[in-house]
Amino acid sequence: MDNIETRLVKLALKGDQRAFAEIVELYKDKIFHLGYRMLSNRHEAEDVVQETFLRVYKNLDRYDQKQKFSTWIYRIGTNLCIDRLRKRKPSYSLDAELNDQDGTDGYALLPGDERTPESEYLLSETQQLIHQAIDSLPDKYKTVMVLRYLQELSLQEISEVMDMPVTTIKTRVHRGREFLRKKLEPKL
Amino acid sequence: MDCKLAVSLMHEYLDGDLLDEETDELKQHLAECSECRVAFKQLEQTDMLLFAVNHRKPPVSDELTARIMQSLPKSKQTHVWWTWLKRHPALTAAAAFFIILLGTLPLWNEGPEMIVKGTDLDQVVIEGNSVIVPEGRTIAGNLTIEKGQAKIYGDVEGNVTVIDGGIFQASTAHISGQVQSINQSVDWVWYKIANVFSEVASP
Repeated sequence: MDNIETRLVKLALKGDQRAFAEIVELYKDKIFHLGYRMLSNRHEAEDVVQETFLRVYKNLDRYDQKQKFSTWIYRIGTNLCIDRLRKRKPSYSLDAELNDQDGTDGYALLPGDERTPESEYLLSETQQLIHQAIDSLPDKYKTVMVLRYLQELSLQEISEVMDMPVTTIKTRVHRGREFLRKKLEPKL
Repeated sequence: MDCKLAVSLMHEYLDGDLLDEETDELKQHLAECSECRVAFKQLEQTDMLLFAVNHRKPPVSDELTARIMQSLPKSKQTHVWWTWLKRHPALTAAAAFFIILLGTLPLWNEGPEMIVKGTDLDQVVIEGNSVIVPEGRTIAGNLTIEKGQAKIYGDVEGNVTVIDGGIFQASTAHISGQVQSINQSVDWVWYKIANVFSEVASP
């Protein structure tokens, strides 16, 4: 199975920068939207995209061609998002200055006013409501729901990306859907 | 069918995994249970709304690709010949052999000392830069001269090799082996290689 991604990977491995740029073009939007939905922050989503491609580039020789390229890159992107969500959790002290960024404190990391994730492009109230509902999902359900509904991956594909049995993914989709139904109930 | 099972079947239906007979059972339950009818309608709408949300996606900044390409480490170029070496072990070994061989080369203008190697060296006469095999004398083997002139008047029952020098054969000379004159480093390399292989072949 020599699809376009496999061919581009082979060229990129030979040092063809344009082939790698082609891979970036194919996947940057998908990874950006994945990051954006998972993290609700444009800046962080762009960081995730950049980091994902850096990892892809460095590990290109380890890419197993029996596996779908999309599965591989989604796994890298998803794991980076989950890592970031996890790091957010141990609620950083808002007033403590962060060591490596001069002058920035915890407040700057809050999804702040100027970053209002939805309002910059969402017009309808319903859409905002849905996005807020997705945001409020616990991480493990959020990941699965974003991959299912926003990336439109099949349950089988999600199970490969997450390296979990399909039955687990199914359970999470069902619970996630139930959670969202209750959140959206007043609007339905 | 109890309502819990019905809800579970609703999710299977939305996953596209519900079997025909289960669909019929669910339909029958929905006809009887108004609570589940509401739940089903809500789930279906949630599902549709989630997919519909995809139609509006935040735009991705245009210079993101350029930024990504710039952030890549530049070391990939040196990587290329390294992977090439790894893919062609035989050529790599040959190249390594050649490089080591070049390292054993004598420096050509190192010194004027002449070197004479052979079996019956008491039969030769050395006069300055010349190695003379006088008429009537016999060398029962090979004669090798580096940085010198060979003047053969007698017999050599073997090869005569002259490196970086010259050879003169008189009409009375008789050489039963090969006569070789080597003057350049490239020739020298081949001479060495040939020697290595003949040594390997006949230990």
